[in-house]
Amino acid sequence: MTAGIPEENTLGIVVGNAARAVSKTAKRLGRAGARPSLGSQFLALGADLLVVLRAVYGLSWFVALWPTYPVPGAAASAWAVLVLVIVATAIASRVGGDTMPTWMFALVLTGIAATVVLDIVAVWELHDLGRTLTAATAAGAALLLVVTQRGATELLISAGVLGLVLAVAMFINTPPGTPFDADHLAPQLAAIAFAVLPAVIGVTVVHGYRRMVQLELDRVLVQSNVSAPRYAVGMLASEELARLDLAAERLLDSIATKKTALPLTPKTASIAASLATELRLHLIEGRRETWLYHAVSESELLGRSVTLVDKSALAGLLDAAQRDGLLSAAWMLVGDTRKKAAQNRSITLQLGPLAPTETPRTDHKIIVPITITSTGIRRNRVDPSIWAALGRVGRYSDSTENGSLRVDIEAAVDNPADV
Amino acid sequence: MELIAKERDRVLQRGARVYGLGFTLVSALCFLLPGAAPDTSTLALGGLLYLVLAGAQLMLGVSRNPAWAVLTLAAGLGILLLETGVGSRDLGTGALTAMQLLVAGSLASVAIVLTGSVWRIIGLWVAFGAVMTSALLLITPATQAPLRTAGLVLLGWILAAGIGLWVTAGVPQVSKRIASIGRAHRAERQASELEAQRRQSARLLHDTVLATLTLLAHSGVGVTPQALREQAAEDARLLRQLRLGSTPTPQASGSYQLESGGEPEPVLGRTLESVKQRFGRMGLKVNWHGTGQVLLPSEVLDAFLLALAECLENVRRHSGVTEAHVTITDDETTVRAMVTDAGVGFDIADIDEAKLGFAESVVARLRDVGGNARLFSSPGAGTTVVLEVPR
Repeated sequence: MTAGIPEENTLGIVVGNAARAVSKTAKRLGRAGARPSLGSQFLALGADLLVVLRAVYGLSWFVALWPTYPVPGAAASAWAVLVLVIVATAIASRVGGDTMPTWMFALVLTGIAATVVLDIVAVWELHDLGRTLTAATAAGAALLLVVTQRGATELLISAGVLGLVLAVAMFINTPPGTPFDADHLAPQLAAIAFAVLPAVIGVTVVHGYRRMVQLELDRVLVQSNVSAPRYAVGMLASEELARLDLAAERLLDSIATKKTALPLTPKTASIAASLATELRLHLIEGRRETWLYHAVSESELLGRSVTLVDKSALAGLLDAAQRDGLLSAAWMLVGDTRKKAAQNRSITLQLGPLAPTETPRTDHKIIVPITITSTGIRRNRVDPSIWAALGRVGRYSDSTENGSLRVDIEAAVDNPADV
Repeated sequence: MELIAKERDRVLQRGARVYGLGFTLVSALCFLLPGAAPDTSTLALGGLLYLVLAGAQLMLGVSRNPAWAVLTLAAGLGILLLETGVGSRDLGTGALTAMQLLVAGSLASVAIVLTGSVWRIIGLWVAFGAVMTSALLLITPATQAPLRTAGLVLLGWILAAGIGLWVTAGVPQVSKRIASIGRAHRAERQASELEAQRRQSARLLHDTVLATLTLLAHSGVGVTPQALREQAAEDARLLRQLRLGSTPTPQASGSYQLESGGEPEPVLGRTLESVKQRFGRMGLKVNWHGTGQVLLPSEVLDAFLLALAECLENVRRHSGVTEAHVTITDDETTVRAMVTDAGVGFDIADIDEAKLGFAESVVARLRDVGGNARLFSSPGAGTTVVLEVPR
């Protein structure tokens, strides 16, 4: 056994650098890849249904156009390949996991490419690709089959390439002297749109859905802080303590078994010194943080844009309903997922200082003043449900400060000195 | 549930925006191509309406206000009315394509957001009815067979509404599973809290480990290697026990009384003896005076012993002598320990208390249990520390 150099200060997480901790779990669970599917199977089933619907529509056009095909064999094989691709992909994605191996994705793309080529060959002689292509446009929708299993970029690139190929084919196929007008160009534009847009829309929806799942996971994981005791050690504390204990044990063991010579080298001595310092800090200072600190530091969303000022650890005095209200309000204030709006949104939560009460209260309660100041949050843009959440914390009044929302709350909590 | 519903609405709104804007763009391009609009004024007015339509769809992406859906539909149907001359004009292929993209694609985007509540579903049917009726009335049979128009509009709206309904239907399942993950996480948090408590409450064990580590931090100078090895082996063994889940209690070794065991008020004398042995190994002879039979609550005892050990460690490191005297006295309310050495001493004003670890480890720990510590020293006259804890 050897003694390792302990990592940087392990005494909890600095709020500014809060993105590690639990959000990692949330990310892991929400990401395409090694994760429980969390609804993407269901989403994939919906996408399959849409593709089938789209294919049936295209097939009916194919049947209607049958008598006009110069090379009916090619058109029929285009559809045969496409149906094969759709069926095989749908089955493979049911059976396989949440990600599709790259070779399988390549196979799907090859199938789609073959469909497009065959379909273009079938109707080339008609010189009206916009209105006669059927399988090639439906093939674009077939990309939706893998929308939950492959990355957004790959799908968008594939759809883009498909659109480009169709556009080039149409350009070459158009006989010289064709007038530049709507009657000739519009159907071709429409055909390209029908081939490309389904993948774009699918990627947007799936991306948003993933984000939704991830945010909800993050929120639920942080929510567990609401039931924490007044002072808590946070999810990582016992792990850190266990790690320090283990490092100390290894160091002592290696000395006891003479693997490490005495007297110690300066390097080993400094390891022992830093171990002792960290252990001491953990043992003495370990329980000075409140549930709110842990909630903010563990959450990816809150950690990024919430500053907490709570010198006397007053947040610990709030009861579960008040905590829930405060957390929800903070969540909703910074939770706007619009990128532009989210960038400069931040709030500062200040608890205390306790003001001396003029009249003694008879109900064994004290008033904890909570101030929420914000930047980049306009008063009239605030979601109405935030007021309900704030109402659960206590009596509040809202105002505007520097063009941004400010809320003062008076939360009545049980007086700890009266217990 | 309430919050995830908001997120769901955002997903749908954004989907609707991309859906709508995509088709609006293509439809507008078709409309603007030469030959699609019958005259310049139609072209200009139509272009303006397309801008309104795009703006409304942009807002559809961020606002849940149904007014934007209404505006989208109004602008779209306005374009249709304008282009068909209120149903009086037959359309060419280009114009027809633009209109098809409009009614079956662009306008269908509102179907994505018209899900989730009864009123919105009703709105969906009304919107669908309005668009379908307008398309059938305004696109003349000579332009395209009504059945074909109806089929295309139906397909477009089914696809769009399908996206909305499907996502909406998926959310409760996901929400349920996330909630169960949350419950598991809460349990994990409680377990973590308990484990941290268990380790933190093994204070006495950590005190000896800390003392040994501090010794090692000074490269073990002043202690025989053999004694240090014994000490290290002992501490490693206790840490292993802690790691393996038990709260270590010394049995055969006899040199540590780490746990108070079942006794509510452990005897001070026995544990004092272990401290004495420990310092003996490190080369500091500790002489006990006074009572050895004081009963203290275990957390008070812990704090008292830690403070005492820290004082002795300071004597060992800084005093320059190898002998210290500890006098324990007690009365009804207080137990007092006086740690004295005849070493070099120091001027209290010169020494930063924190540097000795005094404030942190001695005073803080004693104050935790209602005790106190006082320090007396001057250069050349040795040092005396008085530790007090309540009984």
